[in-house]
Amino acid sequence: MSNALVLIGLNHRTAPVEVRERLDIAEAQYEGTLKDLKGMPGIDGVAVLSTCNRVETVISSPSEDVIESIVNWLCDRGRVARNELEKHLYVLRYEDVIKHLFRVASGLDSMVVGEPQIGGQVRAAFLAAQRCSSLDGLLERLFEETMRVAKKVRTETGIGEHAVSVPYAAVELARKIFGEMRGLQALLLGAGEISELTAEHLNKAGVTQIFVANRSHDRAQELARRFDGQAVYFEDIEPHLATCDIVIASTSAPHFVIEPSQVERAMRARKTTTLFLIDLSVPRNIDPKVGKIDGAYLYNVDDLQQVVDSNRELRTQKAGQAEALVDREVETFRRRLLAQDAVPTIVELQQALEAIRAGELEKCLRNLGPITAQQRQTIEMLTTQMINKILHYPILRLKEPTLAPQERESLRETIRKIFGLR
Amino acid sequence: MSPNVTLYIALGFYAAGTLVALVSLFTRELRTQHAGLVLMVTGWLSHTFWIGTICARTGHPPLTNLPEAASFIAWTVFLAEMILFFRYRVHAASFFVYPLVLMLLTVSAVVREPFAQMDPALRSGLFTAHVLLSTVGVAALLVGLAFTMLAFVQDRSLKSKQRGPLWEWIPSLNVCRTLSYRILAVGFSIYTLGLLAGILWSYRTTAALIEGRTKQIGAIVAWVLFAMLLELFIKGVYRARRTLVISACAFVATVIAILGIHHV
Repeated sequence: MSNALVLIGLNHRTAPVEVRERLDIAEAQYEGTLKDLKGMPGIDGVAVLSTCNRVETVISSPSEDVIESIVNWLCDRGRVARNELEKHLYVLRYEDVIKHLFRVASGLDSMVVGEPQIGGQVRAAFLAAQRCSSLDGLLERLFEETMRVAKKVRTETGIGEHAVSVPYAAVELARKIFGEMRGLQALLLGAGEISELTAEHLNKAGVTQIFVANRSHDRAQELARRFDGQAVYFEDIEPHLATCDIVIASTSAPHFVIEPSQVERAMRARKTTTLFLIDLSVPRNIDPKVGKIDGAYLYNVDDLQQVVDSNRELRTQKAGQAEALVDREVETFRRRLLAQDAVPTIVELQQALEAIRAGELEKCLRNLGPITAQQRQTIEMLTTQMINKILHYPILRLKEPTLAPQERESLRETIRKIFGLR
Repeated sequence: MSPNVTLYIALGFYAAGTLVALVSLFTRELRTQHAGLVLMVTGWLSHTFWIGTICARTGHPPLTNLPEAASFIAWTVFLAEMILFFRYRVHAASFFVYPLVLMLLTVSAVVREPFAQMDPALRSGLFTAHVLLSTVGVAALLVGLAFTMLAFVQDRSLKSKQRGPLWEWIPSLNVCRTLSYRILAVGFSIYTLGLLAGILWSYRTTAALIEGRTKQIGAIVAWVLFAMLLELFIKGVYRARRTLVISACAFVATVIAILGIHHV
């Protein structure tokens, strides 16, 4: 890489929220910020990524001197003393920047491993930088690759597939039972905070109709309006057990409000064979014996928490696979960048030697006098093969991926000097 | 070269594919599962070549003795699994279908019999229809049973709140049940037509509806059990244990019917 690739930033691991919030860049401020940064001397390309967990600037520059200016800019922006900010900042270079971006976009560096929002946030940062024309070729390739790798990580490892909150766990289980959620009906008993949130997630997932029953009918109506649903009287819930597919209970009743006999009657009257019951209340509202009825699946708040815990564990396992995948992708991308980086020197070298070959051949042919076309072809082939053999080793060395950046630069300079390139 | 070389190649690939697919249960990697699929498809291509060889050598479908019938059922089962896989992307069915295909082809390889020439008296349309329809019907019913098993495993996982190794591979309970019902319904219809054709052919040639041979009794018992299973689906009443017991009995009856096939 002829340009220095640098990332300067802080995140939820290195800086408390008090510092992060001072440096936060709102989406509407992206363009102005990028223009400011691009206007700084020595910056060829720049992108910024600002989320609630991180503020990072990615820079492509001919020299690393630019780091100083960026740190000063961050201090001014957050009105933080330099020695204070430096405690929280990290500066990454070359491969570390590539690996960091791949990990961030894949959700491996997030507070909740595998969370899906970060992929969209990285994409938004890329698009904003594209709109402001603040990216150079190197950053453009880096961000495109980052998004490709993030997608690959999510598809191949399924790292973001498992719910890590109680309401999402309920939706995940509902999906595991019903598959397609469109057309399903849910009955909400009581109006606890988690049950409301669960109903909201189910609603978003496609549940068509939500019925709400509460001891206070006014509260039921209010909640029903929120979900574009229907309020029902608490005493009339049994017919709805036969028509609804999902029941969420979270009343403050100190006793069971759904008994096995009610569910058995409902199961006989139902057209479908499955009923998913979620009991989010303590003390429990649904008799645990209901879970023994064929076709009825009962989960209480502990069961859902257990699902969440095992999902967290699963995500951690998958993070291991994802890290290995990211490492492979970093190496592949690094090699590709190096190969692309060496291309101008290689092309120049080939052109210079080809010019020598063509000139010398012409002189030689003039001295030789008349020769047959076959003889000419043989001489041409001989000279071309000689040039190719001479170039073989220097080209291999120029593409060598294990060289350190300084070594690579010095090799390029040496080759240019030896062969008299510009 | 022995014509059975392609059979052994197919068997080798099926064994490797089944093993790799079962390993993916523990590694939980899609790539391992796909590697198993590639091995199985390679085996299936070799299997297809072997079936083609039989047809070319004998001039009739490969359904005249136990090795041929078992092989053809295995071939059809895998074809049905492929169609369902590409349509619904149900990976977990492979954990049941691959071993079944391997088992059936092992029967073909172990019970080595020379390629049978068909008795000229059997060269009737009714007999061919009986054999073909019964075989395709049995293949569909076996795949249907695999999906019924998936539905059962999913039901148990959801009930016990314990995720088994298949949890991630199995689609939703409703998809498993809908698929198993549809496949069983289609398979049962084809199988019924096959049995009717067989009964008619038997009546024409021997003046008896059935002769009480093992394969015939097994086939009729299997038909009754599959009918009971379908009745449960149609009624919309789900009884986990009853479904499991009937499915297991239906599978055993089908295997007995297949193993009861002799030279015809």
